[in-house]
Amino acid sequence: MISVENLSFRYSATSFRLHVPAFTLGDHERVAIVGPSGSGKTTLLNLIAGILTPEAGRIDVAGTDVASLSDVQRRRFRASTIGFVFQDFALLDYLSARQNILYPYRITPALTLNAEARDRAEALAAACGIGDKLDRHPTALSQGEQQRVAICRALVTQPKLILSDEATGNLDPESKARILDLLFEQASEAGAAVLAVTHDHELLPRFERVLDFAQFRQGADA
Amino acid sequence: MPVLKHLLAVWLFLFATAGATAQEQPRVVAVNHPLQYFAERLLGDDADVVFPVPAGVDPSFWRPAIADISMIQSADLILLNGAGFATWVDRVSLPRSKLVNTTAAIEDQFIVTESITHSHGDGGEHSHEGLASYTWLDPALAIAQAEAVAVAITARDLASAEDVDARLAALRRDLEALDAETAGALAGVANIAIITTHPRYEYLARRYGLSVTALEWEAGATPDEAGLAALRAIIEDKGAQVLIWEAQPSAAAFDMTGALGLRNVVFPPLAHGVDGSSYIEAFADAVSALAGAGSE
Amino acid sequence: MNALYLAFAYLRYHWARSLVLTLVAALILLVPIATQILLSTSERALVARGDATPLLLGSRGSQLDLTMSALYFSDERPEPVAMREVEAIWDSGLAVPIPLHSAFSTAGHRIVGTTLDYFDFRDLTVSDGRGLSILGDAVIGAEVAQTLGKGVGDTLVSSPENLFDLDGVYPLEMPIVGVLAPTNSPDDGAVFVDIKTAWVIQGIGHGHEDVVTAAEVAAGSASVSNAAVVQYQRITDDNIDSFHFHGSQDDFPTTAVVVVPNDARASTILKGRYLDGENPSQLIAPAGVIQGLVDRIFRIKSLLDVVTTIIAVAALAAIGLAVFLSYRLRAREIATAVKLGARRGMVLRLLSAETITLLSLSAAIAAIGAAIVSQNAESWVGWLLALGA
Repeated sequence: MISVENLSFRYSATSFRLHVPAFTLGDHERVAIVGPSGSGKTTLLNLIAGILTPEAGRIDVAGTDVASLSDVQRRRFRASTIGFVFQDFALLDYLSARQNILYPYRITPALTLNAEARDRAEALAAACGIGDKLDRHPTALSQGEQQRVAICRALVTQPKLILSDEATGNLDPESKARILDLLFEQASEAGAAVLAVTHDHELLPRFERVLDFAQFRQGADA
Repeated sequence: MPVLKHLLAVWLFLFATAGATAQEQPRVVAVNHPLQYFAERLLGDDADVVFPVPAGVDPSFWRPAIADISMIQSADLILLNGAGFATWVDRVSLPRSKLVNTTAAIEDQFIVTESITHSHGDGGEHSHEGLASYTWLDPALAIAQAEAVAVAITARDLASAEDVDARLAALRRDLEALDAETAGALAGVANIAIITTHPRYEYLARRYGLSVTALEWEAGATPDEAGLAALRAIIEDKGAQVLIWEAQPSAAAFDMTGALGLRNVVFPPLAHGVDGSSYIEAFADAVSALAGAGSE
Repeated sequence: MNALYLAFAYLRYHWARSLVLTLVAALILLVPIATQILLSTSERALVARGDATPLLLGSRGSQLDLTMSALYFSDERPEPVAMREVEAIWDSGLAVPIPLHSAFSTAGHRIVGTTLDYFDFRDLTVSDGRGLSILGDAVIGAEVAQTLGKGVGDTLVSSPENLFDLDGVYPLEMPIVGVLAPTNSPDDGAVFVDIKTAWVIQGIGHGHEDVVTAAEVAAGSASVSNAAVVQYQRITDDNIDSFHFHGSQDDFPTTAVVVVPNDARASTILKGRYLDGENPSQLIAPAGVIQGLVDRIFRIKSLLDVVTTIIAVAALAAIGLAVFLSYRLRAREIATAVKLGARRGMVLRLLSAETITLLSLSAAIAAIGAAIVSQNAESWVGWLLALGA
């Protein structure tokens, strides 16, 4: 699914540097990324998603060389191939849960909002246990419910890859495991791979593989 | 067939009404008979002349009903006598543009009667200066009024100026003849003391030098004791011989006054017309009756 | 479509903020339009009334006061002129003079004593009841009927005045005998009586021994519309014959005289007669006076325009700031959208959809407001002019 080779990146304004010699993620694989703050975990996700462009190296996602795409192409690629789950959920207050789930369809011509998409949203919500709360606004939902909405939003476009950036970081310990299980369950049902940044070491056993970022940071310093 | 007849009748009726409406004549309203007579003489068939006061009602004290008022308001010309005659015009709304005061030019010849004093709620006493109103009993003043009517008719284009001029000339001739005739007939009455049952003959008396004392009797009523006492006092004071009545009273009344040595004469003041005679004819008749009584 | 959907959802969710922004923008749009409509309607109404009144005769003094009192029945009280002046114009045969005696009022509406010629001149028709017929009759304008809730069969009592300082003059109770059809002119707000009735109110004409006393009012045998009036006189069938006028009618007063000349030549001749500065009366053309007034109004209006512009700029700046701040608040949403693969320019689309939606709503409200204003402009202007008077 993902194959990264010899990737290097730097923020021009800072001394931050990231170097990833090699990293791969298989189809349907669930991999956790751990590492100290500032080691570039989120940066890697952004590079994979095509939000940032690398200085050098190659990123291949689902057979697409992300670095070589134009801006428009990268946006389309991101919208159609990747689902994002954020630590702060990033839901929109002014939209109901249902419309938050369908939000990706409203912001890009790469996706078409049709009856199927709506049905999928309903089904996902039902599977995530928020089927009866679709007409509520995020402010009327608990943290866990909000993250379920965010997971539905990430999956509704049927992406091949889910990028999860501390998706459970803001949840109480009990919810963390449940949400992560839900994410895995839905991802595997959809046939998507999951790459998750996390600080929660107790959750690591649930992943198939753990990638410790400390090694890249060292490499970068060297 | 009867149906057709009915339809025809209805059609004829409608046609006739429509025709009448279409040719509606201008309307002139007069507040007394002499003005009505002058207007009729001056207008011929050019306009309808209406004198709205019903017979038996004194035109001085008439109070028009709302229907009368709206008829008068819609007239093309409203002829007022002035000189305080017909005070109802002060209490009714009339279009000023249609009003003509026929004595406006002869106000300097009005006869002022004694003041009437009265008081209001708490406003204290005040007095009104009275004016003698029956101007047309002086044919000279009547001519001036007729002239005023002629001017008003011409100004409002109710008849052609030529026609009005010719008719006015004829009317003036008739009134001048009446004046001359009256002067001749009453020459013999000038030094006879005359009593009138009501003060309405001031202008007649002034014009022809009559000496007249007035009572305040109801027109045509039989006098009561107080009235007779007042009459006797005047007879004693003035040596009066002739009593002028406004209207024919009962035979008993004639007898009562006749018993006091008075010769009874009926001289209608002509604010109303006299049946069967015109203003001029009635005036001449009354004058000859008075002359007859004076010469007995 | 999607941008519009999101914009609308956003505006609806933040409805209070949207409402304020929309209303403020609508007001900024509406105020200058409404002012313009009302002003031009006022101008038309003012000028039309002025043009419809060829000449005015009154006491020498302020021409504006004379015009306002004769055309709009305002509270100005020019010195009265004697009816002798009216007769003089009749006698000249050059014009029809129509006296207007507007010194009294009832329940906030001016009592205008005039002659029947006024109704013909202004083309006033009675929509209910009949015209003036008998001394004491009152015919009221459509607006008077509406505001007082009175009609044919009701009565009005003149407000007590100390204007002429006459003792023993009681207010007059007048029966309403007719209601005039509306004309959107000051005539709608006036109570018309025969000028003789106005003289009765003034105490120049009176009847005898017929004052409704406080005792009768208290006993309920007489009703009073104005609580301040405890004693007033009433013209009845029984006492009407006792009503009479003292002195010569030539000396009776009138506030102003509308003079309708027969033709331009007559107008010129008449004006010439009153040119003499020694003449206690003046003959003026109200159209000129009104034009002066209108010019003055429009000078004020241009000042108003500047003020409106400044306020509009300030308000637009405030709206801009509000919008800018709200965009700042939405930076997070924008970042999310980018991460989710939003199309290029999506943000701009979203924001402009919002702005356009807001402005369209404002414009729609302003347009509706403008339509309402222009539809009612005539009656509102009539009311405003009456108010100012």
